[in-house]
Amino acid sequence: MMDRYIEQFPVVINALNIGFLQTLKLFLVTLIGALPLGLIISFGSRSKFIPLKLLVRFIIWVVRGTPLMIQLLIIYYFPGLVFHNNIWGGQETGRFIATSVAFIVNYSCYFSEIFRGGIAGIPKGQDEAGLVLGLTKSEIFFKVKLLQMVKSILPPISNEILTLVKDTSLARIIALQEVIWAGQAFMKGSQGISGEIWPLFFTAIYYLIFNGILTVLLGKLEKKLEYFK
Amino acid sequence: MKKLLSIILIMTMAMALTACQSGKSSSSNSGSSANDSEQSVDDLKSIKEKGKLVVGITDFEPMDYKDADNNWIGFDADMATAFAKELGVDVEFVEIDWDNKALELESGTIDCVWNGMTLTDEVMSAMSCSRAYCNNAQIVILPKDKVSDYPDVDSLKSLNFAVEAGSAGEQEATANGFTYTAVKDQASALMEVAAGTSDAAIIDSLMAAAMVGDGTGYPDLTYTFGLNSEEYGVGFRKGSNLTDELNAFFKKSYDDGTMKETADKYGVSAALAEQK
Repeated sequence: MMDRYIEQFPVVINALNIGFLQTLKLFLVTLIGALPLGLIISFGSRSKFIPLKLLVRFIIWVVRGTPLMIQLLIIYYFPGLVFHNNIWGGQETGRFIATSVAFIVNYSCYFSEIFRGGIAGIPKGQDEAGLVLGLTKSEIFFKVKLLQMVKSILPPISNEILTLVKDTSLARIIALQEVIWAGQAFMKGSQGISGEIWPLFFTAIYYLIFNGILTVLLGKLEKKLEYFK
Repeated sequence: MKKLLSIILIMTMAMALTACQSGKSSSSNSGSSANDSEQSVDDLKSIKEKGKLVVGITDFEPMDYKDADNNWIGFDADMATAFAKELGVDVEFVEIDWDNKALELESGTIDCVWNGMTLTDEVMSAMSCSRAYCNNAQIVILPKDKVSDYPDVDSLKSLNFAVEAGSAGEQEATANGFTYTAVKDQASALMEVAAGTSDAAIIDSLMAAAMVGDGTGYPDLTYTFGLNSEEYGVGFRKGSNLTDELNAFFKKSYDDGTMKETADKYGVSAALAEQK
C-alpha cells in the first residue's frame, strides 16, 4: 500500500508542479494586466463625459453580473462559433491567451470599483490644497492622492488577489491545464497511474501554501504603508 | 488628463469593435468554414492549407495517452497519426474538456474528436461520425463485497448509481430505470463508489479493465453486468468531407492488416470492428 504511494509521489508531484506553473503564470499575467486596466476603467467610470461614464458602467455591470466561467466560454468559443474565425487556435498558447484576456477583463472591472471607492474616499480638501499650491490635476493625483488611495484599498485588493489565485481553477473549463486539471488527470489515468483520487485533493496544498505566502507579503506591504496615518 | 483618458478609452473600445468586425468580414471571404448543419464543409482543403490535422483528445488509456517521452500514443493516437500521414499533413493532439467536445469542433479549435468516443444519439446528431471501429460495452461497477447481494440487473434497481453526465452510461441508467447522479466524468463516478457516496457506477468496459480490480487504484471494486454493447467512432464537423476520407482509410488499413497490428499493440484487438 505504502509502496504504491512512494512510487507515485514523484510522478504526481512533477505533473502538479507543471500544472501549478500554469496557475502561477495565469495569476501573474492577470494581476499585471488587471491592476493598471482597472485604474483606467475607474477613471472612465468617474468621467464627467456622461456617455463614456454610462458605457463604462454598463460594461462593469455586464462583467460583474455574469459568471467568469461563462465569460471564459464566450471569449474562447464565440469567435469561431459566431464569426467563423477562430482567432485563438486549439493549442495551449491560444487557450492561455484567451484565458488571460477573460481574467484580465473580469478582474479589472472588480479592481476598478475598488479604485473608484478609494479615490472617492480622499477628502476634497486635498484637491483644493493642491490647486492652491499650483499643482496640475495629474500631479495632484499621482503625487498626492495615489499612494493614500493605495493604502486604503490594500485590504479589499488583497481579498481579490487571494480570490484570484483560486479562481484560476475555472480556466480548466476551456482545457487550460492548470493544477486541478493535472490532479484530475490521475483519476482517469495518466503516465501509468489511473484511478487515483489523492492527487486531486493534494492540489489544495498548493493553493494553501501560495495563498499563505501572499498573505504574509501583503501584510508586510500594509505595514510599510502605515506611515500615512 | 481626463480628456486624454476619455480618448484612450474610446479608442480602445472602437478597436475592440473593429476587431469583431474584421472577424466577420474575413469569414465572409472564406465562406468554407461556415458550419450550418446541412452545408457541406471542405475540411480536407482547409486542413491541407494549414498543413495539420488537429485532433481533440483526453488522456484515456489505451486509446490516447502519453509515453515516457511525452508523445501521444495509444490505439487512437497511432491511427490518427497514420491518417494524417495518408492525407499528407502533420498531426497535432490537443487535450480538451470532454464536456465541450462539440463546442471545440464547431468553433474550429479542433478538426476531429478521436478518443474512444461512443456513438450515442447525442454524438451522432452533433457531429459527422465515421463508421464504428471498436465495439465496447457499458458495465456496472460494484464494491467487491456487495457483488453477491445483486444476482441480476433487476436487483440493482434499489441502488444509487453514479454515471458520467451525457455519457452512454447515463443513457443505460435511464433505459434501465436506475436512480442515478450524473457526475463530471467516469473517473468521478468510480470515486463516488469508492467513497461510498454512490452504491454503483456504470462505465466503459475498456476503461473498467484498466482501472478497476487488483493492482489498480480501485482494488476493492469489481465489474459485473454488461448493460449493452456499443461502438466507438471518430467525430468531425457536421457536413465535413473528412468523414468519407476516414472511412476509406479505415477500410484500407483494416484490409491490409495495419489496423489489427496497431490494435494488437494496445490490447484492443478483441474489440476491433470489421470495416466493410
